[in-house]
Amino acid sequence: MAAHSGRNWAGLMFLCLLFVSVAASSNVEDQVGGFFKSGHTNNWAVLVCTSRFWFNYRHIANTLSVYRSVKRLGIPDSQIILMLADDMACNPRNPRPATVFNNANQHINVYGDNVEVDYRGYEVTVENFIRVLTGRLPPSTPRSKRLLTDDRSNVLVYMTGHGGEGFLKFQDAEEISNVELADAFQQMWQKNRYHEILFMIDTCQAVSMYHKFYSPNVIGIGSAQVGEDSLSHHVDPSIGVYIIDRYTYYLLEFLETVTPDSKKTLADLFRVCPKRVCVSTPGVRTDLFTRDPNTVLITDFFGSVRNVEITTETITLKRNDTAQLCSGSSCPGSRRGKRRKKLAYANQFPVEAAYEEEVTKPQWHFPMYFVAALSVFFITVVSAFRI
Amino acid sequence: MAERGPTLLFSVFFCLLCYVFHTVASTKDEYSEELLIIPFRSGQVYSHFEFTTLWDVDFAQGGGGRYKLQHFRLFPRALGQVMTEYRVQEMHLTLTQGMWQQDKWGYPVTSAAPGAELWAWFQQEVDDVDQAWFGLTNALSGLFCASLNFIDSTSTATPHLSFRPQGLAEGLFSTKPSHLQYATLPRENVCTENLTPWKKLLPCSTRTGLAALFHAGQLYNTQYSSLGVHLRPVCRNDSCRDASLELRQVLSTVADPPATLNGKQDWSMKRYFSRSLSGPCPMAVTSRVYVDVTTNQTSSFTLKPEPTELKLTNYQGYNRKLAVYDLWSFPFHKEHGLNVDMKWKKEVSYKELFPPRLYVHRFVTGYGQEHGGIMSLLYNRHPYLEQQIIYMELLPWFTRMYLHTLKVETTEGNLVQPLLTRYTPGRDRQNPYLLEIVLTLPPDSTTRISFSFERAFLKWTEYPPDANHGFYISSAVLTTILRQADNFTVPPHMGSGLQSGLFHSSTEFPLRLHTETLLISLPTPDFSMPYNVICLTCTVIAIAFGSLHNLTTRRFQYTDLKKANSGGMRAWLAQLFGRGKHATSEDKLREPGKESEDPGEESETSEENDYIGEQRELVTPRVRAESDKKDR
Repeated sequence: MAAHSGRNWAGLMFLCLLFVSVAASSNVEDQVGGFFKSGHTNNWAVLVCTSRFWFNYRHIANTLSVYRSVKRLGIPDSQIILMLADDMACNPRNPRPATVFNNANQHINVYGDNVEVDYRGYEVTVENFIRVLTGRLPPSTPRSKRLLTDDRSNVLVYMTGHGGEGFLKFQDAEEISNVELADAFQQMWQKNRYHEILFMIDTCQAVSMYHKFYSPNVIGIGSAQVGEDSLSHHVDPSIGVYIIDRYTYYLLEFLETVTPDSKKTLADLFRVCPKRVCVSTPGVRTDLFTRDPNTVLITDFFGSVRNVEITTETITLKRNDTAQLCSGSSCPGSRRGKRRKKLAYANQFPVEAAYEEEVTKPQWHFPMYFVAALSVFFITVVSAFRI
Repeated sequence: MAERGPTLLFSVFFCLLCYVFHTVASTKDEYSEELLIIPFRSGQVYSHFEFTTLWDVDFAQGGGGRYKLQHFRLFPRALGQVMTEYRVQEMHLTLTQGMWQQDKWGYPVTSAAPGAELWAWFQQEVDDVDQAWFGLTNALSGLFCASLNFIDSTSTATPHLSFRPQGLAEGLFSTKPSHLQYATLPRENVCTENLTPWKKLLPCSTRTGLAALFHAGQLYNTQYSSLGVHLRPVCRNDSCRDASLELRQVLSTVADPPATLNGKQDWSMKRYFSRSLSGPCPMAVTSRVYVDVTTNQTSSFTLKPEPTELKLTNYQGYNRKLAVYDLWSFPFHKEHGLNVDMKWKKEVSYKELFPPRLYVHRFVTGYGQEHGGIMSLLYNRHPYLEQQIIYMELLPWFTRMYLHTLKVETTEGNLVQPLLTRYTPGRDRQNPYLLEIVLTLPPDSTTRISFSFERAFLKWTEYPPDANHGFYISSAVLTTILRQADNFTVPPHMGSGLQSGLFHSSTEFPLRLHTETLLISLPTPDFSMPYNVICLTCTVIAIAFGSLHNLTTRRFQYTDLKKANSGGMRAWLAQLFGRGKHATSEDKLREPGKESEDPGEESETSEENDYIGEQRELVTPRVRAESDKKDR
């Protein structure tokens, strides 16, 4: 009887444990599943401003607004490619050097104190842009200028400048067409260089740029329909030109309310600038996208997936902490007693030596083939005369 | 049991190895930071930050085999790896915005050309210097967010006389400059994006220490702002049997208080850096602020707070009184931060300033877009001593220098014979023109060096997108040795840090001066012309061809005008505007039956004529049809 009740208790305990473990594991599974819901493991951003000259100040401000948001939401500088075709912040015409504001009342300095521009000035060309996207860069390109994405990367591509129906102007010198852009994305797809792309463009007739896309997992957002102009927001009298475009102004306002753990979806992003404030009609293309935009988080593209381990221990830096350093001959790899001759600094003004070197210059050099040919010539001439 | 023996031995050995490598991990390196503040007599305030890292790793003249920099501690790893990869012996990079005004401010601690200037000595073992240079410029462009990748053979030269190694160099190496590469990019602009990666190389970054003063909005709101990275091998100690690697990061700014304060010169850290110092960098061996109070006797200002010590330095005409704040001994807990504050009683007086002994200006001469000239004025203000200098000019390939027009003379007209002229002609689209002249400037004189050049036509693809801005010619460099140190802000010294220059005396002071960069306009095509030409051509073709086509493919038929002109004015007006009149008359006359027999082109041409509005009248189709029948 006791054994029987003991076995019952054991069985009950076992069942309880089983339930608890199942519950716990399902919780863990949920957590684990949560990590992989969106399918991407890293985030990249390619932000391009294609216009140069002071009157295109607003395009630089547009790009820097998105750069600021993207950095604030977690994407590190090493995973952002920022291309600015001109320098507005330290331009001599800027009354407030090293700043680019989104607002005439100087609300937000979108340039900030911690900005890294990867492609600047004349480097912003169609060729460089397509090379960055497709990864076909020369071997000497440094790492900060490469888009090192893989098939689990979500890429945000933002472009702004002057555009028309089916093209975007780069620096008043060349254009990129929507066909080229679509082909570049297709190359990326074939080389497994992205998981999903969010393509945003703020130009006149913006939606024409994504009409030709045919690669999967791409969302396109444009600020104006074909036949419409994307308008600027307001003028700053001290700058003298329009300082930001409407679409990006309201986009920045919206993104400022987004935090890294925000649950806002792309559906909110599509509604960011209605016609009554934007004057132009923004357009969206989602037919190539497999997931439902209502379930896609904004931070899937604007934020970053990062593994962060927080530690609470502190390290006190001590002055002259040279306890673990070696010096002189006690270091591994030092050559003991090998070089004992005295080293010296170079003479900074060695004109006399150079002068002597120059004066004793005249030397004639006869290459071998010349000597051979000359000797053959003389031999033939001599023999001819002899004969 | 038998297995445990070897594994035990192995683990003991492994532990020992770990212990050994743990204690002897990295070579000794030390870091020091210094700030020098000098108020000039013209009202501007010069702030010069110097961050020096000395690493006792001996890589100069490795005697064959790659040198290895590893176990980085205070020395930045990003820069160290670039140096190792491209076998760099010595490197100097400066990114400058603005022009150093020699006649007002004297000589800077490190002279820098406006824009970007990069020169590097490669190790003797490097075979392909061009390849290493190419790799170095690309790597640095990524490291400092500057477009240094635009440096190629068209902007690179090898000066033989002007740029000597500033670090340790063995005899042969210093006189054979084949491993020196020098390039400038005068168009390069400097902004926060260059400061950001630069300050990330510092051990304490901008968290604490002197670098905490870096606020980009203030640093670039100045007349002159220069970032520099200088790497060279130095003597480890006085006996100089071993070498150390010295990295010097330099930031110089010249702020202009009278411009913003309406004549008052008052300067404080809180105002010009937006913050005050809160402590030294814990990794720094020395952390000091020097304020030059020499002019306190002449134009008095009050300096707050009290410096930790006052130092006097006097050698070779260099006479300075410096207030030193040692951040390691400054009582931060009492004072709540160090805010150096200088207040003047009187406004700045813009009386005549005393220019230094030697200074130089350069400008473009000539007019038009075919030829031009460059003239440099070299001033030697010493009353009785002459000065031997090296003057270097680097011209891009599209300004083709004419060497025979080179003229060196004083403003009084006396010809000055150069001791040595070294000229490397350029090649179109390949090499720039390099001119180095060694000459002796007569005492108390102004020497004029001038020459002409020809401007080249570029191919239309070679123009930058803003072609009408113009093209830059990089600054000329003047190198010399002075015997007096009075015009220097800090006399140059081969040692490390500002203290070696300020407090250790020397007899010879190498000087390098940069002139202004020049902006010239090349013959630039009108880039809207292709569009204009296409419009014009299409219009001409449309009109001419259209008219010709009309003339050749229309059939003219004679009409009997007697019938048509009845009706007088009304009929005439109707004819003028009356497309409708024609149409209705045609409709009336056209009978359904006959219509099918009408040749199609008749009705077409009639309609066409109606459309263009010509006043040609046709014979009615009915009559035409009958004539056709007759023909058949």
